[in-house]
Order: sequence, then structure tokens, then C-alpha cells
Amino acid sequence: MPNILVIDDDDIMLKAIKNILNKDGFNVVTATDGKQAFELLDHTVYDIVITDLMLPHANGLEVVGKVRHNEANRNVGIIVVSSVGNEETITEAFRLGADDYLKKPIMAGELLMRIRKLIANKNSKTQFVTKKK
Amino acid sequence: MWNDLVSLLFLAYEQFMYLSLFIEIALIFIFIAIIVTLMSYGSILFRRYDSYVYQKRMAHLSPIIEDLITEQVLLNENLGKDIPVDEIEFDQQAISNKLFRKPVVRQILIDTLIRYRKNFRGEVGELLRKLYTEMNLIEDSFAKLRTFKWETKIKALVELTQMDIPISDSMLLPLTNSTNPTLRAASRNAYIQLSKNEPFKFFDIATEPILPWDQLEMFKIITNTKDVTIPNFSRWVSYSNNKSIVTFCLKLIAHYDQQSAIPAIIELLSTKDHYFRAHAINCLGKLSAEIAEEKLVTIYTSQPVNCQIEIIIALGRISSGKHLEFLKQEFLFSSNFDVQMNAARSIIRHNSQNSRSMLTEIMETTNEENQLIIKHCQNPLIKY
Repeated sequence: MPNILVIDDDDIMLKAIKNILNKDGFNVVTATDGKQAFELLDHTVYDIVITDLMLPHANGLEVVGKVRHNEANRNVGIIVVSSVGNEETITEAFRLGADDYLKKPIMAGELLMRIRKLIANKNSKTQFVTKKK
Repeated sequence: MWNDLVSLLFLAYEQFMYLSLFIEIALIFIFIAIIVTLMSYGSILFRRYDSYVYQKRMAHLSPIIEDLITEQVLLNENLGKDIPVDEIEFDQQAISNKLFRKPVVRQILIDTLIRYRKNFRGEVGELLRKLYTEMNLIEDSFAKLRTFKWETKIKALVELTQMDIPISDSMLLPLTNSTNPTLRAASRNAYIQLSKNEPFKFFDIATEPILPWDQLEMFKIITNTKDVTIPNFSRWVSYSNNKSIVTFCLKLIAHYDQQSAIPAIIELLSTKDHYFRAHAINCLGKLSAEIAEEKLVTIYTSQPVNCQIEIIIALGRISSGKHLEFLKQEFLFSSNFDVQMNAARSIIRHNSQNSRSMLTEIMETTNEENQLIIKHCQNPLIKY
């Protein structure tokens, strides 16, 4: 069962995403701010990290940077979900290592599709590395 | 006891009458201060208690409401099965729970649905809207819209807009011209978002101004709302008597690059209000209206400084190259520093062979101060 970390300061959004992903068979852990997310990321390697950009304590870009900075998290899929739509922020998120971006309000089906695609990509990468060895 | 109190008050009043005027005034002030302090404390206590009761109620009701939304919408079995949202049924027993008939609960339900709607669109968003209409919460919002309190009306407008519920023109149009600026702005924003065919119809009847901050908010809504029908704004430039509407339309014309509006804007150049004229010149520049260049240069000498600067900026934006000599003359001989500065920038903006050789020539022949201005304007790190 893939592990997903969802980071958002809006409790309604957190609960909603958790319910939707649980229904589809994902194991979901939630964090309401950057600090809490950092603590979780220090102890566990997740398959996917879904993060908002505007968070208390540390923003979403810092979370993306933190995930990519850790060698163990190199294959973690990162989806940035935010209502901030300016190009500079989105470009910065991709530059730091985000894999995908969704603008709020989101479509639940689209989120699920992108998660599945990232997991499939991750699995194919892992298979490729194993074969090479 | 009552008699004792009355006699005590009477005695105090008698003594008060014999006091000197300054002490009487001081005592009145002390008395008023004590009363106001007590009233303030009372009000704070009341508000705190009210908020405490609301929080307690929320703590009890929120999980129930969130469970309802989760079960009926987020985890609805028919979601993602290509079934049209209109055909998806809710559990009638769950949504007709007696608890959801209480006005307080219904308001919390509306607020929660709106929070979800802000986060979800597509099937989930549509299903949230369906739940809102099936639970007849739409009536609660319309009831609020019919009250006399403007704050309540605004709340209703926000609810209906978020839920994408159309409001009749007879109800919404009068509000767009309300004398209350907050209500006016909210209803204008709602009109743009909800009216599919003519989102700017209220421009026709608006006699009250669109304040600068409201223009900014409205611009954000126009550019962010999907499928807004963008009309030809020159219609209001030609016929509206409301100056703020015309100014706002000029900004929108420039944003949407409505070239067909150029003749109507050129007509505005003969208006008496020079602030208004400056806006029109600015818009012509942004539209790169080469057709207006001759007219701009012709009227230049009869204009106040703000319009002259706008003309020089516009010539730089149009960059046809026909008036480089005019810009050079203004740069070299104008006594106004801003005019000189903008003339230099406009010459640089042309970025053509002619403009570059003109700049070289000026740099070789002009005085030190003018050379400094050109060097400053050529610096790409200095934005203007």
C-alpha cells in the first residue's frame, strides 16, 4: 500500500484528501505545517508527498527542497497543490524538484490520476535500477 | 431599602448642586467614564461568552456535518463512474435529519460546504452544489439576500456566488448601484461571476463610482473567472457618463488589447478633464495605436504636463520611429526633468538603428547632465 504524506494547513482539505485517498487504497499521513512535515520526513520515506505552498513555520517550497535534499527521498513523487497561481512560484517549485502542480480548487479524479502516474513512474525507475545492477 | 436609596441619591444631588463648577464637571466626567468602562467590560464579556457558545456548538456540530459531506459527497459510491452528477442520489434519511433544520446548524453547514467548494471543483464540486440545493440551503441564502442588513446581504452574495447559483437581475442589479460601497463592490463582483451572457450589464446603470481598490478586485475576478464573456468595452468609453467606469474600461481595453476601441479612445482626447485625457493617452500607448500618433503630437503643446508625459510614454510604446526627432527635441530642450527622462526612455525603447544612432549623436554633443540621464535610462537593472 503506497504511503502518502499530505501537508496542508486547511483541516477541511486535509480531511477531504485523506478520505478520498483512503477510499482508493492509499495509506495517508497528514501534517498541518512545515515543522510537523519535517519531523515526519525525517523518520519515514514516503512514496508521494502532496504539499500546499502556503504553510505555517516553513512554506511548501522549503518542504520540496527538504525532500529533494535527502538522498533517501530521491524517488519520492512531489505534487504541489496551491491556490497560488503565479508562474514564478510554480517555476521555483519545479526547479526545487516538484514533479507536478495542481491549482486549487482541484479535481479529485485528476489528483488520483496524477498520483497513480507518479507511482507508476517511480516503480518503473526502481525496476530499471534493479535490472542495471 | 428602596426609600433609603432614593434619599441617598437625593442627598448626593443636593450636595452636588453646592459644589463648584469645575468639580461638578470633573464628577460628570468620572461618572461617564465609569459607565463607559462598565459597558465595555459588559460587551467584551458578552462577546466572549457568545464566541465560547459558538465554539462549543461548532465542536459538537462540525464532526457531524463533515461526516455528512464525507459520506454523501467525497465517498459517494457513484463518483468516478461516469454517472452524471444530476443523477447521483443522496441518502435521503441522512440529509433530512432533524438536526439540519435548525438555522444555526444550517448556517454552519453552508459555511462548511463553501470551504469544501473552495478546494474542490469537477465532480466533487458539482456534488457539493447539489447537496446545497437538495438540502434547500439555497432558500436560506436568498432569505439573507432579502434582509435589510448590508452585512447579511454580502454574506448571501458570497454564498450564492461560491455555489454558482444564478440571481435574478431584478434582485442583483439594484445592489450593484447601492450607496453602500462594500455592498456595491460585493454585488458587482457577484454579477460578473454569475451572469453568463452579460457580466458587465451593470456598467449601463452604474451612477456610483468604482473605487480604485474595487477596480483591482474586479480585475482579479474578471481574469480569474472561467468563461467570462468579454464585451467590446469601447461601448462604455463612448456612452457612459460615469468617469470611473470609463477609466476602468480603458484599463480593460488595454489588457484585452481591443484594437477596435481605438477610434472611441481617440474621441476621448477632446475631453476637458485632463486626468481623464491622460488615461486615454496611456491606453492608446498600450494598444500601440500608430493611427493616433499624429493626433498626439499635434495636441502636445496645448496639454498640461501629466498629459505631455503620457504622450511621450505612448510614443515610446508605439515605437513607429516617425517621431524620434520630436522626442529628441523634447529631451534636449524641455525644462521639465520628468519630460526629459521619459523622452530619453522613449527613444531607447524604439531600439532601432535610427534610435541607436540618435542616442550616440546626443551622447557626443549634449551636456554632462543629459548624458547622465541617458546612461541612467539605458541601465537595464533600473525598471520603470
